[in-house]
Amino acid sequence: MSRNALLAAVAVIALAGPAAAQNRVTIQWQTPNLTESQYEPIWKQTIAEFEAANPDVKVEPILVARRDHWTKFVASAQARQAPCVVAVDLTTAAAEGYLRPMDDLWAKEPASFRDAWAPEMLSAAKWEGKLYGLPNWGGTYAEVYNRELVEKAGLDPKNPPKTWDEYLRWAKALTGPDRWATSILGGKTDTTTRVLLTWIWGNGGEAFNADMTEATFAKNPKSLEAIKFYLGLFTKEGVASPAPTTTNYLEQTVLFAQGKIATMRNAYWSIAKVIGDNPAIEGKMFVAPMPANIPNAPTLASVSAHSISQSCRYPEQAWRFIKFDMDKKWAIQRAVKANWMPLRRDLVNEPELKADPMLAEFVRIGANARSYPLPHPAWADIAVNDIVDAVQKALLEPARTDEIFRDLDVRVTRKLRQ
Amino acid sequence: MSNTTTTTNIPARAWTGRGLARERWHGYLFLAPTLLFLAAVIVLPLFHAFWTSFQRIRGLNSTFVGFANYVRVLEDEAFWHSLRVSLGFVSISVVAHVVLGLLLALALNKITFARTALRVLFLTPWMVAAAVGATIWLWLLEPQFGVINYILQSAGLISAPVAWLGTPGTAFAAVTTVEIWRGVPFIMLLTLAGLQTIPAEQYEAAEIDGATTWQKFRFITLPNLKYLLVVASTLDIINVVRHYDIIGIMTGGGPAGATEVLPALLYNTAFRANRFGEAAAIGVLLLLMVLIFAAMYLRITRVGQEDDRR
Repeated sequence: MSRNALLAAVAVIALAGPAAAQNRVTIQWQTPNLTESQYEPIWKQTIAEFEAANPDVKVEPILVARRDHWTKFVASAQARQAPCVVAVDLTTAAAEGYLRPMDDLWAKEPASFRDAWAPEMLSAAKWEGKLYGLPNWGGTYAEVYNRELVEKAGLDPKNPPKTWDEYLRWAKALTGPDRWATSILGGKTDTTTRVLLTWIWGNGGEAFNADMTEATFAKNPKSLEAIKFYLGLFTKEGVASPAPTTTNYLEQTVLFAQGKIATMRNAYWSIAKVIGDNPAIEGKMFVAPMPANIPNAPTLASVSAHSISQSCRYPEQAWRFIKFDMDKKWAIQRAVKANWMPLRRDLVNEPELKADPMLAEFVRIGANARSYPLPHPAWADIAVNDIVDAVQKALLEPARTDEIFRDLDVRVTRKLRQ
Repeated sequence: MSNTTTTTNIPARAWTGRGLARERWHGYLFLAPTLLFLAAVIVLPLFHAFWTSFQRIRGLNSTFVGFANYVRVLEDEAFWHSLRVSLGFVSISVVAHVVLGLLLALALNKITFARTALRVLFLTPWMVAAAVGATIWLWLLEPQFGVINYILQSAGLISAPVAWLGTPGTAFAAVTTVEIWRGVPFIMLLTLAGLQTIPAEQYEAAEIDGATTWQKFRFITLPNLKYLLVVASTLDIINVVRHYDIIGIMTGGGPAGATEVLPALLYNTAFRANRFGEAAAIGVLLLLMVLIFAAMYLRITRVGQEDDRR
């Protein structure tokens, strides 16, 4: 080989390496769950297998604590640097223009893929008629009990409370020295709002009118009655753990795992969290529909959808990753290991899922569920700020509950109409 | 060297010559990298914040609305509530920083036993990142599992766990205590350095005159530290006014707004309520308040004039 030919070959090799690297694009992925230990092995495997199958794409997970998730997303979205694939408050993010409509990508998919989602499930991921996300997992809320504590209190686990009166009777029996029946959530996250809504719906009340233009927390007597009963478990009955204004999902599940509370209102994913905190509790829990004062009371189904951010420069690659993550294999792993319920209707009869009695019960309870978050652009603000502030104030000054929630109705109605 | 000597007697008009212009130009060139850096990290964001405060931001779109954001902020009771909370938080924290910092510095200046170890120990809260310190306190104060409740219950001082961060009074007291815990070492360090610059002869002369400990403190120590304490407390006020980290981590401004200082209101308005224009207006108002306060404070204490007389 001549000297010139050798130089040319070296130049080609030197240029080819970076060129290949340049062809590989990086897409970032941010969901509030990537930091949760029960999910970590699954997402790591998902990324590894996706990158092996798609050598032109590198997926970079963005690890953010749940409480900072929205802040981080908004800050990066404002800077036009939002991660490509995100799971956020869909309506608010879509209304703010942070998300890219996915209808074009969706339309190109075969009918077999699109049929996996029920139309009502897809409607939860739409804003003003456009599809902004693909629902990939969720969780229906139910009442989870510690069987040992229930039996120790002389109660029958096979006959859990169906009404609020029965629930209160149980709660009093389950409360003892340094142990309480339950926790009231009043911490500064929207989990406070989720649980409050279940109590309102369980009494036949409504927090909003049908077209979400008016708040009816105090205006609807059934709603106000529910709020007072629920918060009264702490302020009046003394059957709820101390410090409700700082109690969030984290504190609630830790208390439950340690046997400090006997029952918690939560979604299926809390089971994995509790077992992670205290493996000895596995097999000692049972789940039941939430006690209610009306027949066939709906529960709340939280829907998490994967979206593509408006600032994503590689939507085609992002869509490829979303589709990969939606695959049956990962959905089953998420359900079995992280306790996240699959939202694809073609997964309902999977043997692994049917074999789990607790999941089956959650699915049964979730047959009558209302989807969350509620469809309004101001929802993220209302759910985390206004409603939580009102709950905190009412916990601190129970005598002013009526007035506090009347004020809430006024403030939230103003926001809903802006 | 010779240039310096020569130029001192040259009339002012001679400074307009070509040589001087070139020298000035060189000066600007040397300053340019720093000025550009400062422009990039301070001036531009500041102007952007001003600009944002005149916009109604809706996601990635914005509309010019003039002073509407300022009007909305000033009409909102939440702003005035936060201002009151901020004033309480800052005044209690800064007074405690100065008093405790001074006392600790006086003590550490006197003692000889384990001097270095004690100085390092007292500096620790300041060396730890604020976020880390706040997280540690968050768990210490946790109602169910926190060590503080455990100790108090074990000692029989409380019968049931106290939700320190769950009620307005105790939450405010808790975040203020943590702020004091974190800020005292800064003042202590400065004061300790100041104490070591006071000539020993002054104390010796006072002792010969029969001055008491209090008189030595009142007429020697305090006057010598006056300038330092004024500057340190002004810096401390500016520092505490803009603090968000401790409150953000420990309470997020709650419960029910009891600890929502202005930076917490700003954060919540921007990132929770998605009202960036109003948040920017709060930021600008906060900046103006700090500037006015710092100017007034330095003027009242006449630090500049005293310095000039020296």
